[in-house]
Amino acid sequence: MDAHETFEVLNERGLHARPATRVVQTASRFRSEVTLERDDQSANAKSVMGVLLLLCPKGSKVVVRAQGDDAAEAVAAIGQLFQSGFGESG
Amino acid sequence: MSGGSNREIHGIAASPGVAVGVALVLDRRRVSIPRRHIGEEDVDREIQRLRDAVVAARVQLRELRERVSPEAGEHTLILDAHLLMLDDALLLEQAESAIRVDRVNAEWGLRRTVENIKVLFDRSGVDYFRERRSDIDFVGERVLREMMGGSSPIAPLREVEGPVILVAHELSPADTAALAHNDVLAFVTDVGSATSHTAIMARALSIPAVVGAADATREIATGDLVVVNGLRGVVTVTPDAAAAQRATDRGDRYQAFVRSLRSNHADPAFTRCGQRVGLRANIELPAEAAVAIDHGADGIGLYRTEFLYIDRSQPPTEEEQYEVFRRIVEMMAPRRVTLRTFDLGGDKFSTAFRIPKELNPALGVRAVRLALREPEVFRAQLRAMLRAAVWGEVRVMVPMVSTLTELRAARAQLDLARAELRAQGEAFGDVPFGIMVETPSAVILADHLAREADFFSIGTNDLMQYAFAIDRGNEHVAHLARALDPVILRCISQVARAAEAAKIDCSICGAMAGELLAVPILLGLGVLELSVEPTAVPEIKASIARIDLASARALADEALGLGTADEVEALVRARFGGLLADLLAAGDVNGDDAEALILAAPSPGGVSGVGGGGGGGGAHSRMSLRIFSSACSWSCRMRSRDRLYLSPISFSVSSSSWSRPKRQRMIRASIGESVSRSRRSSSDHAVFATCSKGDGVTSSWRKSM
Repeated sequence: MDAHETFEVLNERGLHARPATRVVQTASRFRSEVTLERDDQSANAKSVMGVLLLLCPKGSKVVVRAQGDDAAEAVAAIGQLFQSGFGESG
Repeated sequence: MSGGSNREIHGIAASPGVAVGVALVLDRRRVSIPRRHIGEEDVDREIQRLRDAVVAARVQLRELRERVSPEAGEHTLILDAHLLMLDDALLLEQAESAIRVDRVNAEWGLRRTVENIKVLFDRSGVDYFRERRSDIDFVGERVLREMMGGSSPIAPLREVEGPVILVAHELSPADTAALAHNDVLAFVTDVGSATSHTAIMARALSIPAVVGAADATREIATGDLVVVNGLRGVVTVTPDAAAAQRATDRGDRYQAFVRSLRSNHADPAFTRCGQRVGLRANIELPAEAAVAIDHGADGIGLYRTEFLYIDRSQPPTEEEQYEVFRRIVEMMAPRRVTLRTFDLGGDKFSTAFRIPKELNPALGVRAVRLALREPEVFRAQLRAMLRAAVWGEVRVMVPMVSTLTELRAARAQLDLARAELRAQGEAFGDVPFGIMVETPSAVILADHLAREADFFSIGTNDLMQYAFAIDRGNEHVAHLARALDPVILRCISQVARAAEAAKIDCSICGAMAGELLAVPILLGLGVLELSVEPTAVPEIKASIARIDLASARALADEALGLGTADEVEALVRARFGGLLADLLAAGDVNGDDAEALILAAPSPGGVSGVGGGGGGGGAHSRMSLRIFSSACSWSCRMRSRDRLYLSPISFSVSSSSWSRPKRQRMIRASIGESVSRSRRSSSDHAVFATCSKGDGVTSSWRKSM
């Protein structure tokens, strides 16, 4: 199983520590391998350092890609976080 | 404790008061690590050491996380982030590979990896990511500490019962969370400035703090009895019984002094003859607004908006600024808030602007000149200010206006900003539009400017620099520029008269307004609005209450006719020194020394109020003067967050030799030099002087420069 979708970073402060923490916590709930891709870089979505080092400011487009038996659910769950702006304003 | 060591550590007096208590040391200092190359046979062992240390660090962090109460939501999240970083494959893999490939010991491998990751974050040029460096550092240091066996729990709060004096390298939000349920008597930190988080928190809590006390975490052990003197910026480790008692007494006297000052807390400032004086606070961080209210300020006389622009690659958005301004305006309402548009350039840099490299930045693209070169950025700020005015009384003030053309150009931008808001259907309020008078040209043209500006605020710090043509940062000349010089008094007088003729307000928001000896002259010159550092409000208010305008005017008239700053100062001391003596000594009238010193004080170049108790009874008592200064303004925040204090210079001088002119000159020269050295790094600072007589401290005082 392979699933992927592109999301935009909506919150003002970008994918900083707290959103990254949420992404990693969410990704870790799934068995699939999950990666985030931005431009030509990719990072393990279960590594907070990796996610942070993608350096995604507001407005950047991020591909969430998952491989495994629960890939679709993983992408959907992480996509949800992106779309809610990680629960942060603006 | 009778056999105490009385070791003293000097730092910056960040929050006044004196506390005696048991130390609790939060050891957050970076450990120095062994670095060695290892043989192949050691690789597995080193990797195992690393893994074990990670496990141990995780246990500790989890424990801390559980101890932090759930209501500290923000802080738990930070700790969660730390836990994730600790478990991060990237960190561990890189560290392990450093050990395996580069053949270095585990500590070195980890430190290297942490440094590499920090570089990556640094390169991002994005503030939020750069901030993460400290998180990674924190996590790395935890693990290193475990490996080196010298593990101190992150916050061993349970080891010490009852109220404590908190000693730390620096205090982070995570520490603050851990401390939520502890009684803290005082703070001491290795690093920091008077505007650092710790200092602001301490002032808000009204507990003493000494920051920038280098090596405090090394010198002090948990359980030690310590004295924190937040008036002098000195920490005494394991004081003997007598010293502890003296400190307790000093603390009590200070408390009594504060209570007596606070009795007028809720009242506006009035002179003895009943003239209302506007007394407001200068602030830089939104959090200081609460401190200003707490100290009885009538409002904010100067809000420096520059900090919003510092350390970032893009200027803040209108929305972001609006939120900050609104918060302050709402909090202060119905009190008035004067917002100053960004004063960048000069010695204050922001990466958000590309300011050309200038040979002479103080005379270059700064303040309003920069604003007019970047009109879009300027208007975004003006719009945010206009919108904030919906929530309370707001005035907008532009720094460094030196010509009428500039004033008109700035006002045109304000009109444009209003039109833009109207077009967008955004609500906004009415704001008076005023200028800072801080260049000689603005003083000379004050009559014209007064007809077109809605108010004046005199910035004495810059005015001094430009009026004397003296670089505040140049140690060889800085002491030559003094606020009490007739040059500055005449400038102020001229500006105040122009304002009066045009019926506009005129205030002073420079450091001079917070100087006790300047207050009577300023009132006498007709300046009835002062804006000072928040914590100085009570004492300035108390000083105002002792002054009657008739004698202040007589004093000012006479001072305007004098020729030198020394003459002016001697005159003020003669007329008002007695009235203000206890304030000048921060409530310490115990022992006549303080008063005698201050009243008798000759003025060494740039420093006033330092003198010896010459003549009289104890002609042979040896006195020592110790002068150090603390920098608290924001150029230091920008240039470096490091401690900014001078090593104390000490002299031993007998009162008989003090009277010898040559000896005096020598001492004055050293003091002047040390003061001007601190000016290199900061524009506002105070000099703390203490005078001790064999058996311990008998007096101390503080003077803002």
